[in-house]
Formats: sequence, structure tokens, C-alpha cells
Amino acid sequence: MIRVEELQKRFGALHVLKGVNLEVQKGEVLVIIGPSGSGKSTLLRCINLLIEPDSGRVFLDGTQVNRRDIRPEWVRQQVGMVFQSFNLFAHLTALQNVTLGPVRVLGTDAAAAEAQGRKLLDRVGLADKADAYPAQLSGGQQQRVAIARALAMNPKAMLFDEPTSALDPEYIREVLDVMAALAMDGMTMIVVTHEMGFASTAAKRILFMDAGRIIEEGSPEEIFHRPKQERTRMFVGKILR
Amino acid sequence: MPSASENQRRSRVRIVDILLAILVTLGILAYILDVLALRWGLSTTYIAKSYPNYLRAAWISLYVTTIAYFIGMGIGFVLGWARSVQTLPLARVMAARRREAVAAADGGSPGAGLFLGTVFVYSIKYYVRRTADAYVAIIRGTPLFVQIVFVWSAVIVFYPRLDPLFQGLLSGVIALTANTGGYQSEIFRAGIQTVHSGQVEAARAIGLSRWGAMRYIVLPQAVRLVIPPLTNEYIGLLKASSLLAVVGSVPELTTFGRSEAFQTFHIFEAFALVVGIYLLITFPVSKVVEWIERRYRVPGLGIQAPRTARV
Repeated sequence: MIRVEELQKRFGALHVLKGVNLEVQKGEVLVIIGPSGSGKSTLLRCINLLIEPDSGRVFLDGTQVNRRDIRPEWVRQQVGMVFQSFNLFAHLTALQNVTLGPVRVLGTDAAAAEAQGRKLLDRVGLADKADAYPAQLSGGQQQRVAIARALAMNPKAMLFDEPTSALDPEYIREVLDVMAALAMDGMTMIVVTHEMGFASTAAKRILFMDAGRIIEEGSPEEIFHRPKQERTRMFVGKILR
Repeated sequence: MPSASENQRRSRVRIVDILLAILVTLGILAYILDVLALRWGLSTTYIAKSYPNYLRAAWISLYVTTIAYFIGMGIGFVLGWARSVQTLPLARVMAARRREAVAAADGGSPGAGLFLGTVFVYSIKYYVRRTADAYVAIIRGTPLFVQIVFVWSAVIVFYPRLDPLFQGLLSGVIALTANTGGYQSEIFRAGIQTVHSGQVEAARAIGLSRWGAMRYIVLPQAVRLVIPPLTNEYIGLLKASSLLAVVGSVPELTTFGRSEAFQTFHIFEAFALVVGIYLLITFPVSKVVEWIERRYRVPGLGIQAPRTARV
């Protein structure tokens, strides 16, 4: 579904990604962990071309998509993204947040988009919040609307960039539950998170990234309990406590 | 929650409030009239007879201001957007691209032709931005009065055969448009740059184009943030339109009042009318904008309803 080959990205003198390779099968959930500054977020943004990679190849469904003859907008329509800070459109209600993409990007007619939007809000448990503005929602509710907004584009895959890191502990569960349900439904997902519980149950594979490289790859069991690399061991030791 | 009787009491209090306000206003007006008409001996017959002419002159001020304001708004938005975009000078773009091209030598990345293409696009943006910077610097750095006189001189020198009224109107609209465009660009830039960068990222992530993100996400939020300075700009521009008096051939409100004053010697009456009409326009404008502000208010974004606890 998604394949990345030898991805490199520099920001000025900062070498953020130093040749990353990964592959995600259809319906698979891949979790990426790693210390801050290791390039996880940049990697996700290179996959949906929010950031243009310097070199390397990104494939979606077998097609290389970081080419000049492919519009990045076309790629982003097919790969949903959920952000750490939610980024709900502040001037729109929950429902309008969800319908904006279908109406303005896909050209769906307003009524159909609204029906679909209400269904999606119901799916994330927020049917009664359709007319609330982002500022009137809790962090957990905002993040669930953000997931619904991404799903409204009928994406082939979803990218989650630390979706629960900005949440109060009491709201983390509700977001993870929505994500777990999504994984059960067979959505292809790449998730940057440090939620061990979610990683262990939803993901078959975990990647550990550090300093722009993938250091280790393995099952949750292997990464969390029998890491091979010293750096993985140290990092896992810190977050397991 | 206040009870029903409490609500009733409040609405009664509000009605008394409003009545008091009206009474006080009427009282002040009566006092002013008393001072002007009786003690100073202002001619109420002159005022009653010629106020329609003043209103007609006021329409010219209003037209010129409004046309300039809205064309200037378009200019201001474009310039403000241009100035909010991060750009690099050509040399730095080329250096960065060369470095990337070296890094990308293993293939799968843009070739030489595309290399030149991106350099061109980036540097065009850079020069557009620098031009916008210069424009704003010049407009803000020179007196509006000078701008009006300059445009007017240019128009009468290059188009001497045009009707003087049209010459005046044309140069007035051009100068005011150019001026407010420069000022509004700063207002729009402030608004655009205040919108959180995550909003643009989220907009782009669902597949909106740059323009789509601006049109549907950034602009609606930015405009809500900058309604007060935009209103200021309109009112300021209306008052600035009185500078067109220098042109002479445009009978806008100030020009008309001045000529009336000199021709009829009803100096105080003339300027009482002029001042009164300016107030009569600007006050409702701010009321209308207040209404718009309330109508489009969004919880948690931009200007909020006044709170009981203030800072």
C-alpha cells in the first residue's frame, strides 16, 4: 500500500531523514516510536508530501507519487492525516470541518456530504456535537472530529502524528478506542505514538527511529521486551516506566 | 440561570436605560441647537435650505471612499498575502537546490530542467514580495496629501482634455485606492500571519490547494481577526477623502462646505453641516460593523463577546 525507499530530507544544515525505508501492507497498522527529533513527524509528512522529500521514492499502491507530474494534492486526498494538535478549522463547526474536504476538494454535493459527515461523527461517537465549534469541544472530542474529517475523504491509508500526546490523560482512551476500531475495520495506518497499550494490541510491527534512521523493527513483543539494539533498549526503558 | 421574573426585571431596566440614553442625547442636541442658533445666531433657515446640497456632496465623498476602499481591499489582500509568504533570494534558492540535487544524485528526483523551473518559481515569488515591500514602504512613508497632489498633477498633465470633474474624481480614486491598498495590506498580513500554521497544514492535508486553503480556511479566520482595523481604515479613508479639497474640481463634502462658507459667509453653518454629516456617516458605519462582528462571531476565534471579568 505504502512503500518508502531511501528517503532523505534536510532542513538547511539539519539532516532529518538519512535514508528511510519502510513498507506497509494494505490493512496493516504500523507503529513508529522514537525520541523527539528523530524524524518521525517529518517521515509522515514526506509520505503525504506535506513536506517534499529531497530524494528517495514514495510509493502509493505501487505508483511513485513524489514526481513532478503528480499533484501532491491528489496524493493527500488519498492519505488522511491526524495531527498532534488536532488543527480543527477554528471557524467551522464539527460537521463543517468534516464536510469541507468532500465538498471543496472532491466536489461532493452538500447534502450527501452532510449525510456522510453525520454518519462519520456518529462513528467517532460525536453525533450530538455536530454543531459545536472546536473551542467548545474537549481535546479528545476535537481529535475524534479530526479523525472523522480525515475519514471523510475516503482515504486509502491514515497517518497519525502523535494523536494523543497533546491530550489530558482522561481523554486518551476515547481517541485510542476510535483508532483501534479503525484498525479492526481494516484501515491501513501508520501511527507515531508512545502509547504502548495501543501499539501492543493494534500493531503487528513496530519501528524504532532515532536520528533520522530506522534502528530496529520488530513485533511489539520484540521491541518492548527483547530489543536487540542498545539505543532501543534505552528508549523503551524510559517510556515503559 | 436567572429566573423568568429576573429576566423581566432586566428587560425593564434595559428599556429605562435606552429611554434615558435617548433623553440625554436629545437634551445635548437641544443644547447644541440652542447655543448655535440662539446664542451664536446661526441661521437655521440657511441650514434648512441648503442641507440637501451638503448631502449630495457627502454622497460624492462616500462614493469615492467606498470605491477606493473595496478596490484597495483587493490590492491589500494580494499584497498582504505576498508579504506573508516566506521567500528566499535567488542565490540562496540556487545554492539549496544544488545541494539537494547532489543529495538526490541517486535518481528519483527532479532533473536539470525542473531544477531551473523551481528556481524560476521561487525567485519570482521573491521579487513579487520585495516589490510589495517597496510599495508598502512608499505608501506608508509619504503623506497622503502628497500622493493626491502627485496623482492629480500627473492626470492633468497627461490627460489635459478630460473634464475637470472627471480628472479630479479619477485622481482622487487612484490616490485613495493606492493609499488604502498599502495600509490594508498590512492589516491583511497581520491577519494571515496570525492564523495558526497548523490550520494551513490541516487544510493542505485534506487535499486543498494553496488557494483553497487561503480561500476556505485562512481568509475566513483572518478577516474575523482584523475587522476592527479594517473598520478604522474605512472611517480613516472617509475622513482622508476630505483632502481631495486640494483638487478643487471635485465637490465632495469638505470642498463644498468650504466654497459655501466663502460664498455665503455662513461659515459656522457650513462647517456645522460638514462636521455633522461626517459624524452621521461614521457612527452608523461602526454600528453596522459591530453587528457584522456579532453575526459572524465564532466561539474561541478572534474577537469574543465582552466578558464580565476583564483584564
